Amino acid sequence: MSESNYAFGAPTIPIGGPSFDAGMRRLPVYLVLDCSGSMTGAPIEAVRQGMKTLLGELKSDPQALETVFLSVITFDTTARQVVPLTELMLVKEPPFEATGTTALGAALKLLSECIDREVRPTTPTQKGDWKPLIFLMTDGAPTDKWMDAADAIKSKKPGNLIACAAGAQADEEMLKRITNIVVKLHDLQPEALKQFFQWVSASVATTSTGVANRGDAPVALPPPPPEIIIVP
Amino acid sequence: MANKLLTATLEDGSTIQYDPEVIGEGGMKRVHFTPDRKSVVCFFKDASVGADPQRRARLQSIVGLFNPTTDSEVGAYWRELFCWPTGIVTKPELGVVAPTYAANFFFAQEPFKGKEKQASWFTSPKLRRFLPPQELGDWRRYIHISTRLARAVRRMHLAGLAHSDLSNRNVLIDPQTGTAVIIDIDSLVVPRIYPPDVLGTPGYIAPEVLTTQDLELTDPNRNLPSMLTDRHALAVLIYEYLLGRHPLRGPKVNSTQSAEEDERLSMGERALWIENPNDTSNRPKDPNYMHAPYTVTGPYLAPLFVRAFVEGLHNPDARPDAGEWERALVKTTDLLYPCPNPNCLSRWFAFESTHKQCPWCDTVINEQVAVLHFYREGNRGQFKNDNARLVVYHHQRLFAWHIYDNQYAGERADRTPKAYFALQNGHCWLVNQSNEPMVVVAGSHIANKLLPLSEGEVLRNGSQIRLARAAHGRLAVVQMV
Repeated sequence: MSESNYAFGAPTIPIGGPSFDAGMRRLPVYLVLDCSGSMTGAPIEAVRQGMKTLLGELKSDPQALETVFLSVITFDTTARQVVPLTELMLVKEPPFEATGTTALGAALKLLSECIDREVRPTTPTQKGDWKPLIFLMTDGAPTDKWMDAADAIKSKKPGNLIACAAGAQADEEMLKRITNIVVKLHDLQPEALKQFFQWVSASVATTSTGVANRGDAPVALPPPPPEIIIVP
Repeated sequence: MANKLLTATLEDGSTIQYDPEVIGEGGMKRVHFTPDRKSVVCFFKDASVGADPQRRARLQSIVGLFNPTTDSEVGAYWRELFCWPTGIVTKPELGVVAPTYAANFFFAQEPFKGKEKQASWFTSPKLRRFLPPQELGDWRRYIHISTRLARAVRRMHLAGLAHSDLSNRNVLIDPQTGTAVIIDIDSLVVPRIYPPDVLGTPGYIAPEVLTTQDLELTDPNRNLPSMLTDRHALAVLIYEYLLGRHPLRGPKVNSTQSAEEDERLSMGERALWIENPNDTSNRPKDPNYMHAPYTVTGPYLAPLFVRAFVEGLHNPDARPDAGEWERALVKTTDLLYPCPNPNCLSRWFAFESTHKQCPWCDTVINEQVAVLHFYREGNRGQFKNDNARLVVYHHQRLFAWHIYDNQYAGERADRTPKAYFALQNGHCWLVNQSNEPMVVVAGSHIANKLLPLSEGEVLRNGSQIRLARAAHGRLAVVQMV
C-alpha cells in the first residue's frame, strides 16, 4: 500500500517549502527600528522584549500566520536589514544592540531598496503581495542627510507607513515629512514600548484579516492604547 | 491576586458578577469572564452603539423571540451549535451575557494552547502543517462539521434571521469530535428591526455585496448581507471544510493596478470558481493542490457546489439553501467508507460503485462492498427508488432514518442504532437490534424470513429486505460491488 501524502488533496509540504497556493497573497510587514546609542539600557531591552512578545502573538494568530511575511531593519550609524522578508513562522528574534548615531536617511533608503527587491508586484500572470505595512520607530533626531530619502518615500508611498516618535527627544513633525500617519510615545519606559509593540501586533493581525475589505482605502488600525498618541 | 469583581445588571433586574480583566476584544465588543467562567459578559466598545435604542430592540428579539435554544424539546441540541446570548446587560452599559464556548473549541496543547479553533487552522494547507496530527481530524469529521453548520444556518434562516458574517472566524470547529459552533450571534440581522453592521469577512462576502459596496446605503441597488449572502458564505465554508481550499482564490489576475483592486474584483464582480467547468482560467496550476476535484464529495454534494459556484455565484437566487446542504450532507454520510490504507490522512471518503478508489491517497478497494439501495412503498406493493443508499462497512449502523421513509436525521432524530453490520469470514451480516422484525423478502432460502431482535442475515447481491413492516418501512435492495 502506498504511503499517503495527501490530506484533502493538499500535499504535506515541509515548513519553508515551495509555495503551493497560487492564490495566496503575502502581507509584507517591515519593522524599521532605531538602535542608536540613546536607546542604551532599559529602552533597548524593552525593544528586545517587545519583539519577543510581537512574534509570540503573531505566531499564534491564524490569519497572520497565513499571510504575514516579516522583515526587520535596524539603524544606528548605518542601517542594515537584520531579518530579510521571511515567512512569519520562521522568523527568529534578531539581536538588538544600542550604539552609534541615528542614520534615518540610510534606513529609509534601505527600506525602499528592500521593498523593491522583496515585494512581489501584481502582474498579468502573478498575484502580487498586499501593500506592505511599515512601522518605523525612532527616538531622536536623525544625524545623516535624511530629507531626500524622506521625500522619496513619501512620494513613492511603497506601503502603509506608520511612524512612531518615541520619547521626548523624537521629533514628530520631522516624521510627518515621511508619512501622514505619525504616533507619539511620551517616554521610552519599558511599559510604553511594550504597549507600542502590542499595538503593532494588533495592527498586523487586523490588517491580515481585513486587508481586502475596502480596496485602496487606508488601513484601519486598531485604536492605540493611552500610551500612544496619534499626532494629528 | 484575584481582581475585585464588578457587577452588571440584566434587563430583568437580576445581577451578574464579572472579572474586570478583558479576556478578549473583537471588532465590536470587549469580553469579560464571570467568576465561574461558564459565561462571558460582553460590552460594546463604541458607546454610541450601546446608547442606540434599536440595538437594544435587536438584542431583545435575538435573546427572546428568535431564540431556538430555549425550546423545551430541542433547545439543548441547538445550545451545542450556537453560542446564543442568554441575557441583555443594561448597566453599567449595554451588553450581552453569553455562554463560554465548550472547552474542545480551544487548543489544549502547545504550540497554540488556549487559542480558539477557528476554521482556518484546519482548512489552510499552510496552517495545517503547524498543527499536532491528532487535531486534524478525518474526512468523516468534516462531513459532520459541515452537517452541523448547515443545520444551524437552516434553523436561523427558518426563524427569518440572517447571520450576515458567517466566516472562518465566526464558526469554531473541532475536527477531533466533528463539532461546530456559531459564535457572534449578537450581530444577527433581524428583518425589519435592524440592518447589518458589517459587510462580512474577506473571502466570505458574497460577490454582489462587494460589487455594490461603493453605492450609498440607501441606494436600492446596494446589496447588503442577507440570507442569500449567508448561503454564499455557507457554500464557501463547506467547500473549504471538505476540500481544504478556497473556491474562488485562484491564479487569475483581474487587475494589475494593485493587489487590493485585484482582490475586490476577484471576490466580487469577476469572481470565478477555481473549478468552473466552462472557464478554467482561474484554475490553480499545482496538480497536488487540485488532486481531489469537487466531484469526490459525491453525487449529492457535487451538484450543489455547481449551483453555488457556477449558477449561483452571481445569481443569489440560484444558490442552494441551508436545508438543501444539510440533506445532501446527511445522505453523503451514508456513502462514507473507511480507506484501508493505514497511512491515509483523510481516512474516509464518499464511496462510488463505479470507481472503487480512495480519492485522497488513490488506494484501490479490492474487497466486495455491500450497498443498500432504499425504496419507499407507494401504492400497495409498489416500491419506488428513494434516491438514497447506504454503503456498508464493518460495524456500520442502521438508524431509524434509514428504516422509515418519513424520518429524518435532523435535530429531532432518534439516535439509537436499530441494526448493525459485521464482516465475518468473508460475509457481510445484517443483525437486527430493534424489537421491530425485519423481513428478508428475497435472497434467503426461506420465503419471507423474519429477522427478529438479535437475528442476522448474510447480505447477498440482489437480496431484498423490508426493514420494518409498519407504515413507512423501507425496502432495502442489496448490491454487492
